[in-house]
Amino acid sequence: MRVDELISGPVHTISPEKSVFRAAELMNEHGVDTLVVVDHGAVLGILTSRDVRSAHPNRIVADAMTTDPVTVSPDVFIWDALTIMDRHRIGRLLIRDGNTLAGLVTREAIRIKLSELLDPLTGLYREPYIRAIGEALLKKKQPFHLLFVDLNCFREINKRYGHPFGDDAILAFARRMARWVKETRDFLCRYGGDEFVMISLAEEETVDRFIRAISRPLSINRVAVSASIGYVNGFREPQFFALSIRDVLAKASLLSTGAKAVGEGESGGPGMFSSV
Amino acid sequence: MNDKNLYSRKATLDLKISEFEVPPMLDLLIIGKKAPIGPEAARRMAEALSPDQFTLFRLDHPKIEGVLVRNSVLQMLDYALLMKIVLEEAEHLLLDSMVLRAELKITVSVRREVNLG
Repeated sequence: MRVDELISGPVHTISPEKSVFRAAELMNEHGVDTLVVVDHGAVLGILTSRDVRSAHPNRIVADAMTTDPVTVSPDVFIWDALTIMDRHRIGRLLIRDGNTLAGLVTREAIRIKLSELLDPLTGLYREPYIRAIGEALLKKKQPFHLLFVDLNCFREINKRYGHPFGDDAILAFARRMARWVKETRDFLCRYGGDEFVMISLAEEETVDRFIRAISRPLSINRVAVSASIGYVNGFREPQFFALSIRDVLAKASLLSTGAKAVGEGESGGPGMFSSV
Repeated sequence: MNDKNLYSRKATLDLKISEFEVPPMLDLLIIGKKAPIGPEAARRMAEALSPDQFTLFRLDHPKIEGVLVRNSVLQMLDYALLMKIVLEEAEHLLLDSMVLRAELKITVSVRREVNLG
């Protein structure tokens, strides 16, 4: 899930005083559409095939390149890399490991990878996303809230109302939860069939409000659909950082199952179990 | 018959020698956006031929990418005023694929009244 996993092949460089014509030749020789412009070890810019097409071939590379390229470290997540690209309106990021140029990643490569991670029904990320976020936060010793949201009686709903209705229920819950998500604070995924996981760095009161809101049954075509929530509060959980993300997910999942056992019975009966 | 009487090749040479001006540009170099020489190349050329005598200004203009200005001109004339004049005059002449050079002569007329008493 890190950008360095998307680096393909070596970075080809060119010096700023070379001609654009020579740059075009180099691109053809190496079969690449981007050259990194380097002068005495310092990265000055990048030159893309588009830059080459729009510049006179007699020009020097320094006069055709895009200056001040945006760089990221290799451990940046691919979805964060895409946000950076959107913010700067660029199609490429240089990956720099300290003073070493590690590679280059394109928007297209990120898009392809992200499309593998996206759930086509809800548009949310799938399970590997939340696992990567959780692992990274645990590694940084950053406590977080993890909520495992499981729709109640989903199998019965599918049997009684049909699978398209089940899809509607999943979509409605996904949208309801997505409304709470704030960028850089909350991370939401569709974990499995009728299960969602949210990792949040928000204040406890905010998380409590979220739980209360999500616990309320949702009326879909006059059918009440509810969810059970398993909640692990990493800010209060003893020995939280001794756990792996797999442990935390397992704990929250079991808590949601416990909440079901106590609170449901009917599809409209919500429940919530917390670890603390 | 000898072929040499029928066929001959001659060349006429014209040789013109003049002094190469260093640097080849005058006071200003106005560089179009699609010109074969870009602003950075022009700056490097000026720096190599006349170190510390020219300054490059990059412009946000539809046709002009940059203007290379002799520092001594800037000593006498405010940058903003100079650019206003240059842009007004050059943009009608310049295609974005061209580089124009310009000579600027500044004459300062001074008239003072002094007290003889």
